[in-house]
Amino acid sequence: MQLGGARLVAPAVFLILAVTGTALGAVVATSLGLLPLVGQPRLSADGFTALADDLRAATQESLLTAATATLLAAAGGLTIATVVVRAGRGVRLVVGLAAAVMTVPHLVGAAATGLLLSDVGLGQRWSGISAAAWPELVGGRWPWATVLELAWKESAFVALMVIASVGRRYADLREVAAVLGAAPRAQWRRVLLPLSAPALASSSLIVFVYSLGTYEVARLLGRAYPEPLPVMAYRLFTDIDIAARPQAAATAVVATGLALLAAISTLPLLRRLGAGR
Amino acid sequence: MTGHAPKRWGAAHQSRRTVIPALLVFWLIIPLTPLLLWAGASRWSGTARLPQDLGFRGWQEALDTGMIAALARSGLLGVAVALIATPLGSMAGRALGWRLLHRPALPSVVLLAPVVLAPFAVAMGLDVVILRLGIPGEVAVVLVLSVFALPYTTFTMRATYLGLDPTLEEQARVLGASSRQARRCVTLPAATTGLVTATGLAFLVGWSDYAVTLLIGGGQIVTAPMLIGSSAAGSGNDALTSTLAISASLPPLAALAVFTYTASRRRTAAHS
Repeated sequence: MQLGGARLVAPAVFLILAVTGTALGAVVATSLGLLPLVGQPRLSADGFTALADDLRAATQESLLTAATATLLAAAGGLTIATVVVRAGRGVRLVVGLAAAVMTVPHLVGAAATGLLLSDVGLGQRWSGISAAAWPELVGGRWPWATVLELAWKESAFVALMVIASVGRRYADLREVAAVLGAAPRAQWRRVLLPLSAPALASSSLIVFVYSLGTYEVARLLGRAYPEPLPVMAYRLFTDIDIAARPQAAATAVVATGLALLAAISTLPLLRRLGAGR
Repeated sequence: MTGHAPKRWGAAHQSRRTVIPALLVFWLIIPLTPLLLWAGASRWSGTARLPQDLGFRGWQEALDTGMIAALARSGLLGVAVALIATPLGSMAGRALGWRLLHRPALPSVVLLAPVVLAPFAVAMGLDVVILRLGIPGEVAVVLVLSVFALPYTTFTMRATYLGLDPTLEEQARVLGASSRQARRCVTLPAATTGLVTATGLAFLVGWSDYAVTLLIGGGQIVTAPMLIGSSAAGSGNDALTSTLAISASLPPLAALAVFTYTASRRRTAAHS
């Protein structure tokens, strides 16, 4: 029996559409007051307007965290990939560690980062700086710890994506470039960077949207206010006051909207770079 | 590379070749170091540089908080997610990799969409629905996580099928094999590495999840990440947090090591 292409993709597509369609429909309906836990449905924008200032602050915090983490992860990932594809010293160890970091859950990374960077953490203990003088990296005014945890784990992801996509092609092209007299820096700029661009851009987009939507890292390492969108949404969702449910849903709608906007606006760039291939 | 580089770069270039990989190893390892130290400390008070007493206090406490049962629950969740997302992703990956669709753009967008969506938002929406429909939380958690695993399994298998020759299956059929025999005896063995990678990624989605289990399970489904989360957020018991975190990280790391070792042996065998 020859299975047609449509019948092969149908189960996966159906499951995704059923689950995400139902869930996002319910989130939007709840945010607009159409799906209250108790009482009559009533169309209203209160979910968005009641906490407009908090919502704006949380959006800013989320965008700042995600953008910085993405930049650092892309830079770190590209550096790791460069060392690995150039087959420098200790390459197998670096690849093995990057793969190991990929398998470690973000929650474990967040717990470990807390133990490293808090004011009684390993960093403070080993540096000899007094606890009072130690910078507020965890739960401070700037989400340092959250950004660093995301950048750490996602740099391994970016590196493995770039290494997988560049692979042997770089070794062949670099040889040609070297024979033609290109210095190592020129080889990097003219050969490795263009070859890595599609994987680097698409993995950076994935890191950005992941960082926008992650809950546990900011919950463990971030400050109480302003909190990023997922933390704010969860706090409102579990509030004893069930009137906060539409506000929680509105926060989730904003986070989803931002991620979709990021994906749609970078899609033309990804397509031009040939990331689909 | 050095063979082609002018000599004046020599020393600086050589030291860069050592220093940068060393810095990268440091960057990848250092965040996990505190876990190893705290998991072996039975007393580490004040701001002492090293633990005052070594011991297994954290491990004993982790056992007392139900670590084994939580790890088993996480394992079950990972297996359930892999059992749904791997076959479905493999089928979709076959259709995309072997270009069996006339218009692949729309299904590709749908299959990638979960990457863009925030798990907490999907879980929050589904929570409202499952309450009304009376669907058990465990089922909903598995379904949501399978959806989030599907992009990984689908696109891993798409890449695998891209590297496989579809005509091999046809040749097997010409030689008298049924479609199913051809798939099972010709394509699947060649796709083993891809299938294992896809299964591993799907398992990890279930094994590592925190937000979806917390939101839909409402704290009733106690997986390993639930224990880590509550210990790290509230207890201030760093030895316990570290022990739980290491216990949740070791099984996937061990699986990765076995996979890498087996894959390298297969490659060596193929070359010789």
